[in-house]
Amino acid sequence: MVNLIKNEWMKIFKRPGTFVMIGILIVCIALVGIIIKAQHNDKDFVQDSNWQQVLQEENNALKQQLAQSRTKIEKEFFKKEIAINEYRIEHDIPTREKYTVWSFVKDSSQLIMLAGLFIIIISAGIVASEFNWGTIKLLLIRPINRTKILLSKYLTVLLFALFLLAILFVFSTALGAILFGMPEKAIPYLNYFNGQVSEQNIVVHLLIDYGLSSIATIMLVTMAFMISSVFRNSSLAIGLSLFLLFTGAQFTALLSMKFNWAKYLLFANTDLRQYFEGTPMVDGMTLPFSITMLLIYFAIFQFLAFYVFKKRDVAA
Amino acid sequence: METIVELTNVTKVIKGRTIIDDISFQVNKGEVFGFLGPNGAGKTTTIRMIVGLMGITSGDITIGGASIKSQFEEAVRHVGAIVENPEMYKFLSGYQNLVHYARMSKGITKEKIRETVELVGLTDRINDKVKTYSLGMRQRLGLAQCLLHDPDVLILDEPTNGLDPAGIREIRDYVRLLAREKNMAVIVSSHLLSEMEMMCDRIGIIQNGRLIDVQHMKEFVNGSEVMYELEVTPSEAALSILRTYYPHASATLSSNGVAVELPKIEIPNIVKVFVQEDIKVFGIKEVAKTLEDRFLEVTAEKGAATRG
Repeated sequence: MVNLIKNEWMKIFKRPGTFVMIGILIVCIALVGIIIKAQHNDKDFVQDSNWQQVLQEENNALKQQLAQSRTKIEKEFFKKEIAINEYRIEHDIPTREKYTVWSFVKDSSQLIMLAGLFIIIISAGIVASEFNWGTIKLLLIRPINRTKILLSKYLTVLLFALFLLAILFVFSTALGAILFGMPEKAIPYLNYFNGQVSEQNIVVHLLIDYGLSSIATIMLVTMAFMISSVFRNSSLAIGLSLFLLFTGAQFTALLSMKFNWAKYLLFANTDLRQYFEGTPMVDGMTLPFSITMLLIYFAIFQFLAFYVFKKRDVAA
Repeated sequence: METIVELTNVTKVIKGRTIIDDISFQVNKGEVFGFLGPNGAGKTTTIRMIVGLMGITSGDITIGGASIKSQFEEAVRHVGAIVENPEMYKFLSGYQNLVHYARMSKGITKEKIRETVELVGLTDRINDKVKTYSLGMRQRLGLAQCLLHDPDVLILDEPTNGLDPAGIREIRDYVRLLAREKNMAVIVSSHLLSEMEMMCDRIGIIQNGRLIDVQHMKEFVNGSEVMYELEVTPSEAALSILRTYYPHASATLSSNGVAVELPKIEIPNIVKVFVQEDIKVFGIKEVAKTLEDRFLEVTAEKGAATRG
């Protein structure tokens, strides 16, 4: 299996396209960094001396709103804000923080979308290209069964995804540290979950954030892989997956306003952060529900990919 | 001789159409087996089934005793193959391509790769990218790819497609060498008859998905009867005499006499009859039939028989 993954890795990295992708990703991070640096002025940064008072006032206002609000979602939101503000006052954590390397990493994590695009391109091509090149014939007449070959390809895609995300994280950390400097003391991230506020190391928080933001990408990559394996057509796989990557969440949000069944759609469930930091898209959705839905979608994609690949008559 | 590949009642149905109909044959170690048939007869489909690229609707194929259906890995371990054109990864070098395939079989050393490269004569260019290779070089790289793991069976589908005469000859020499020296069984498919004639020990003829004949090359070309051309005048009279004496032999008018298919032993009798009937005999010569004549003949006969 290691050898098969080595082979796939070699086939990805011996093509110039891959380096173009990595290059674009790095250039984009750099651009984001430069733009933020240009807009940002260190000298403006002055901590309000009476920030605790401001927060207290804000909390009073929030409490009034909480009393008036009717929907559960709104109530949850106000409760969360109040709890975090109280925690800040109690533990002396100011609201306004200096823009540091971690703020930059958080901002540039938007580029996971771009990395996702590249991963989808690789994923969509990894099976379909073998058919296009005709090399699938020589690949499948080795003493290795087809399941293993397809599995090695899928694992390679995941490795490639990890690789791009690592580049994104490491490079934005390095660039952030150069442009904005490290914070003097580590400011924790305040996590609100189940009515409790807790401090979380900012790096741990960012890594979790990366992981959670990548779920949508990984699901789409799996879908692209499935289309690639079932239809042997990389254009279809790329087109459909990218279309969903950019529009899926919005469409689902629109549908969810009108129909309750929208909660069964893939994109209603890909953003697990909604349970940690916001409110679920559709009322009544829970974390276990979303995880179950994701696993079902994942299983369907994988089953289709492997079943069709195993049964296929190779006549290309 | 030891049988290495065996097809038993292999049938392939695609979308209700029978592509391959109940084919059975064996291939022995050390022989070159030719697979001959017009385009669309089912040669490539059969080869794809042997190497497991296509499923078998009914029947079974065993290689070295292992079924390609149920023991795929064990069966295909014995096989090296080029199915149609040897498509390689063009963005990799020849060497990287070989490393790629070497990783997929057990126990292929760097030394073995080097040896194989030398055998096919690519040592000078092996580190160049495959996209810079000529078709002949790609064909040789394809051959190297299937020889890496010392297979017992070599399967070449249309190995000489698009090659120039020198390339064709090169492939032919390799094939004969491998069968003789390494005791490999080689299965070659082609629709080029002259090429098969020079390469193969035995041939199977396939038409419309049916295997209509398996014969040794020499027997096949010569058949049991030989064609003779008799240079005689007047040829019309000679023809009618032949037809009365040998109603079963096929006799025809030829450019300067008559042509007839008869056992050799009958020739003196014919001459005697001709002399008695006052027909001038100028010469008698044996006409060796080409594979092409035989092929067209066999496919026409059997095709008619199976259809009727």
